[in-house]
Amino acid sequence: MAAETLATPDTDPASPAPSEGTAAPQKKIGETLLRADNITLSFGGVKALTDISFEIREHEILAIIGPNGAGKTSMLNVINGFYHPQQGRIMYLGAERRAMRPHLAARQGIARTFQNVALFKGMSTLDNIMTGRVLKMKSNIFQQAIFWGANQREEIAHREVVERIIDFLEIEAIRKTPVGRLPYGLQKRVELARALAMEPKLLLLDEPMAGMNVEEKEDMCRFILDVNDEFGTTIALIEHDMGVVMDISDRVVVLDYGRKLADGTPDEVRANQDVIDAYLGVSH
Amino acid sequence: MTEVSLPPAELDTFPKLLERHRAERPGRPAIREKDFGIWQTHTWGQVAEEVRNLAAGLFSLGVKRGDKVAIVGDNRPRLYWTMTAAQAIGAVPVPLYQDSVAEEMAFVVEHAEARFAVVEDQEQVDKLLEIRERCPGLTQIVYDESRGMRHYTQPFLHHFDAVQAEGQDYNKVHPDFYEDEIAKGKGSDTAIILYTSGTTGTPKGVILSFDNVMKTAANGVKLEGLTDTDESLAYLPMAWVGDHIFSFAQSYVAGFCVACPESSETVMHDMRELGPTYFFAPPRIFENILTTVMIRMEDAGRIKRGLFRYFMEVARRSGIKILDGKPVGMGDRLLYALGQVLVYGPLKNTLGFTRIRLAYTAGEAIGPDIFDFYRSLGINLKQLYGSTEASVFITIQPDGEIEADTVGKPALDVEIKIAENGEVMFRGPGVFVEYFKNPEATTETKTPDGWVHTGDAGFFAENGHLKIIDRAKDVGRVNDGGLFAPKYVENKLKFFPDIKEAVAYGHERDFCTAFINIDLVAVGSWAERNNVAYGSYQELAANPQVIEIIKGHIEKVNRDLAADPQLASCQIRRFLILHKELDADDGELTRTRKVRRRFVADRYDSLIEALYSGAETAYIETEVTFEDGRKGTIKADLQVIDVAVGPGGETMMKKAS
Amino acid sequence: MNPTAIRFGIWILVTPVLIAALGFGFKGLAAVDSSLFFAWGYFIEVLIAGLLQGVMYSLVALGFVLIFKASGIFNFAQGSMVLFAALTMVGFIEMGLHWTLSFVVTAGVMVLVALAIERVVLRPLVNQPHIILFMATIGIFYFLDGFGQTLWGSDVKVLDIGISKAPIIVAEGVFENGLLINSFDLVAALVGAVLVAVLAIFFQYTRVGRALRAVADDHQAALSVGIPLKTIWAIVWSVAGIVALVAGIMWGSKAGVQFSLALIALKALPVLILGGFTSIPGAIIGGLIIGAGEQLAEVFLGPLFGGAIQDWFAYMLALVFLLFRPQGLFGEKIIERI
Repeated sequence: MAAETLATPDTDPASPAPSEGTAAPQKKIGETLLRADNITLSFGGVKALTDISFEIREHEILAIIGPNGAGKTSMLNVINGFYHPQQGRIMYLGAERRAMRPHLAARQGIARTFQNVALFKGMSTLDNIMTGRVLKMKSNIFQQAIFWGANQREEIAHREVVERIIDFLEIEAIRKTPVGRLPYGLQKRVELARALAMEPKLLLLDEPMAGMNVEEKEDMCRFILDVNDEFGTTIALIEHDMGVVMDISDRVVVLDYGRKLADGTPDEVRANQDVIDAYLGVSH
Repeated sequence: MTEVSLPPAELDTFPKLLERHRAERPGRPAIREKDFGIWQTHTWGQVAEEVRNLAAGLFSLGVKRGDKVAIVGDNRPRLYWTMTAAQAIGAVPVPLYQDSVAEEMAFVVEHAEARFAVVEDQEQVDKLLEIRERCPGLTQIVYDESRGMRHYTQPFLHHFDAVQAEGQDYNKVHPDFYEDEIAKGKGSDTAIILYTSGTTGTPKGVILSFDNVMKTAANGVKLEGLTDTDESLAYLPMAWVGDHIFSFAQSYVAGFCVACPESSETVMHDMRELGPTYFFAPPRIFENILTTVMIRMEDAGRIKRGLFRYFMEVARRSGIKILDGKPVGMGDRLLYALGQVLVYGPLKNTLGFTRIRLAYTAGEAIGPDIFDFYRSLGINLKQLYGSTEASVFITIQPDGEIEADTVGKPALDVEIKIAENGEVMFRGPGVFVEYFKNPEATTETKTPDGWVHTGDAGFFAENGHLKIIDRAKDVGRVNDGGLFAPKYVENKLKFFPDIKEAVAYGHERDFCTAFINIDLVAVGSWAERNNVAYGSYQELAANPQVIEIIKGHIEKVNRDLAADPQLASCQIRRFLILHKELDADDGELTRTRKVRRRFVADRYDSLIEALYSGAETAYIETEVTFEDGRKGTIKADLQVIDVAVGPGGETMMKKAS
Repeated sequence: MNPTAIRFGIWILVTPVLIAALGFGFKGLAAVDSSLFFAWGYFIEVLIAGLLQGVMYSLVALGFVLIFKASGIFNFAQGSMVLFAALTMVGFIEMGLHWTLSFVVTAGVMVLVALAIERVVLRPLVNQPHIILFMATIGIFYFLDGFGQTLWGSDVKVLDIGISKAPIIVAEGVFENGLLINSFDLVAALVGAVLVAVLAIFFQYTRVGRALRAVADDHQAALSVGIPLKTIWAIVWSVAGIVALVAGIMWGSKAGVQFSLALIALKALPVLILGGFTSIPGAIIGGLIIGAGEQLAEVFLGPLFGGAIQDWFAYMLALVFLLFRPQGLFGEKIIERI
């Protein structure tokens, strides 16, 4: 390295290339946030998940990968409360979680996006994101009718949070557009925004980059990393693009035919012979 | 306060002007910005305080008299304040185009010897960090938005707030510091260095003094009667001289308020919310707005569409005459008033043009249809002719003397003459001091007695209006001696909404040919209406129906050209539709989106060959750069199309065959 | 101005005028000797009566729209909810309660009914196809119908909440003899307008309204952001119940409380087809058009067909509409991306 006026002893001048500023060297991965113990889920006679155990740690980005039909989305649905496993248990925030409905999972701070974008298509971007604040709103319907003024103040406070998210995800221009009219890539971004509006402890992303072009993918990667970095949100995501997975995740869980093949850091997983045989080497 | 009031002569720098505003109109809005969905307004009093703290902060950071401060980012109040703050302590602001890639930025930062940079966000910081090794002079970087900057621990990176806070403390200890520093500035000092985007070669740093900028800005204010009740929208790059005059200098001179849009994508929306009274846009933008309107009308219900058509016809008949104060029949006047209620009013409201008193366009020729469209709605759209070297204004169209194909009369205090080779030359108060560190270029451009070569060929029409044909050096000859004015032809082509870009060839050739870029919005909308499926620009461009449409347009242009014996030699004999859009990222356009003619010619020389060889198709492989800097390749077989030509073009046809 | 508003204006103006013009053509020939001025006054009178009648239809249609919007179910039981509400209201009045008090009590009963329906019928059927839910509402129809009559008896009852039915005369200066308007209809229209305004604000500007729209749009997504479906359904059915109560009071006071009240649901059908199943303004405009259309047709075209057009005119109009604009005037436009 050449002697330079800008150089400083404690940083590596070669590192700050675009988008690298977010790859936090001092990122703190914390305690276990959620643990799946021996989860088995079947539909009729078909086993979707067999004896799966893994954990999600605070502040990490965990990728769940595997070929089609490996049970990735089923796993998210179990965490999210859409499915109830026949065996095994989910430990969340240190306590065993009983079977629950998705809106209760939401109440406990689990937000998610869907593989095929589940937005309220007739509503504007802003309204969509505002629905993410439902659980944060205190007054109920009757209070709303009686204390109109107080309500407006609460509404404004929530709007402020939502505006920050809009700013964060750079979707100012589509604030008032009905989401049904937006291109797919932007819909995905709005869905992420809505999930963020819930200020989740755990964010589940089901193929956040599916169907996107390269440029949109890179944007989405940046947003996911930024969310993780700026808000410290724990993220579990399903993704097919191996490049993306290896780039952004702290740990990877590999599923195959409803069983867990491996988990570990991207490098460990890449080196795992089972994974290479069953997945990486074969279909990709 | 609707009287035009120009600042007294002893206030010869912007920091001094700012102090006057602080005293005279502390509570009036100076600048707005939309943040988190809400317009935040800063008054002149607040701005003066912000600038005062910032100036001291920059001083504490080590900025000295004569230092250059690079400024990079979208139009943001804080970046505008940085300009004034730097000037206050005798430093020189050097704004850079915010979408330049690191490579382009490196050149300017290095050439300007910028020691400091004030930038908007992480994106710009990253670019500067990337070029650090090439620009060792750059010692400190100040950034505005902290998003994503958490892990940047380099001590030479400072948050804007921290610098200002430092400055505030400094000012407390040295209460006279700021006033003393301002007093040291004088009109002949360098106010700013603006790097021209440069259609050829490397950018040149144009040094403008306070006298240059303030005198021209004031002349514009005087001519158009701008006051502190006006309002404008700052959305064009800060590095461009136009923005500097319209959004900065004139705001300071007249005391009006400037608003910064939320993001580059929300400009039209912000415009609608804000309703500016003073607006500048290059022809391209006026064209885009019109295209959007037309597309929306195509989708509208039958009744609405009928109303729109009918009243636009009324407007075409009488709108411009009414605007220019010419006599119009009672019936048409009534119809126009009705149209105002039913169509023009709502339309202008949708576009954010309701309050516009004065709109300028410049930089390129504007299509007569587009120009007339806006004027017929009652929008006082005028053309001007200017350059960085003139601090913008060379000619302006006076009210009531507006034509689509001239650029108006000399601006106040500006003299114009036409050189023997047809080149337009000017002299006036705005004439730049010199090119920074480039005396050869300075002597080439500016004569010792202050005349500046514009490089444009033009002439004065009978009514005393200047008419520009083309770049002087671009006007060429076809082989039989006929005139070849590529820009003129290209503009005629581009006036068709379907054609986004055109590049004509013909100099020292047997006949003229052209590359065409179709307009994806206009042609795409056509395709949708006609059930033509396409997956990409390339696919749409190769569609035989599309080719047929473009051919029709070119034939029409040929007929027009054939009507003028001088220009008949410019008729397009063969053309092809390019397989990709010309792009600034690939170096094919400048940052202000002008075609780099020579670069395109080199890059696509095989296609040009095909145009002149008589071949029916041409194969091309092109490397392209995506927005993120990655590269890829596009391959295509392009069709070369022959076009009929009128009289004057026929001789060439025979020759060619 | 938004395009829907313009379109709605045009429709509301054009439909009755067309009908009137038709009738006027025939009638005008027949009545050459009557002064034109009188005929215009008469026409406007009929038009107003029709519009006011239309508001009554809208009131019923509103209940359908609410439930359809939030759950995609065509609630066949809406008619019997109207009847049940009216019966209950009369029942309480007969017990000696003042009508305002019995209104409040009945509203409470309707909320209870809504909660019961959600708990007993909807919740067990969640995630079933819509047709199953539709069948379930048919069940509810018969249950409420029978239950109401068991509770309160099946005689025709009079519901009087003190609205004057005296005709009033307006615009005497403009038309000879002025215009005759039924004041009861006027009150009904007013009530309808207030109800619609409240509902519109509720849907558009409150967060419960937003949640309702969200649920209507995508159940799964609504769940995932923490909107509890069953609470929303309970709210929607309660609101629909209260709307049914208002409709019941209006229709009951006008025509007496009896079984046929349950069948006005059938009149709401063409209104819905016209206005679109998901649009509150659509229900209003649809009601107005049907009301005005059938009155005008009855009076001006009736003699031509030998009368009784009123019974089938609305369905004809709806049929024509189905052919040309299946989503209704205000129904969400079916956008297909290319």
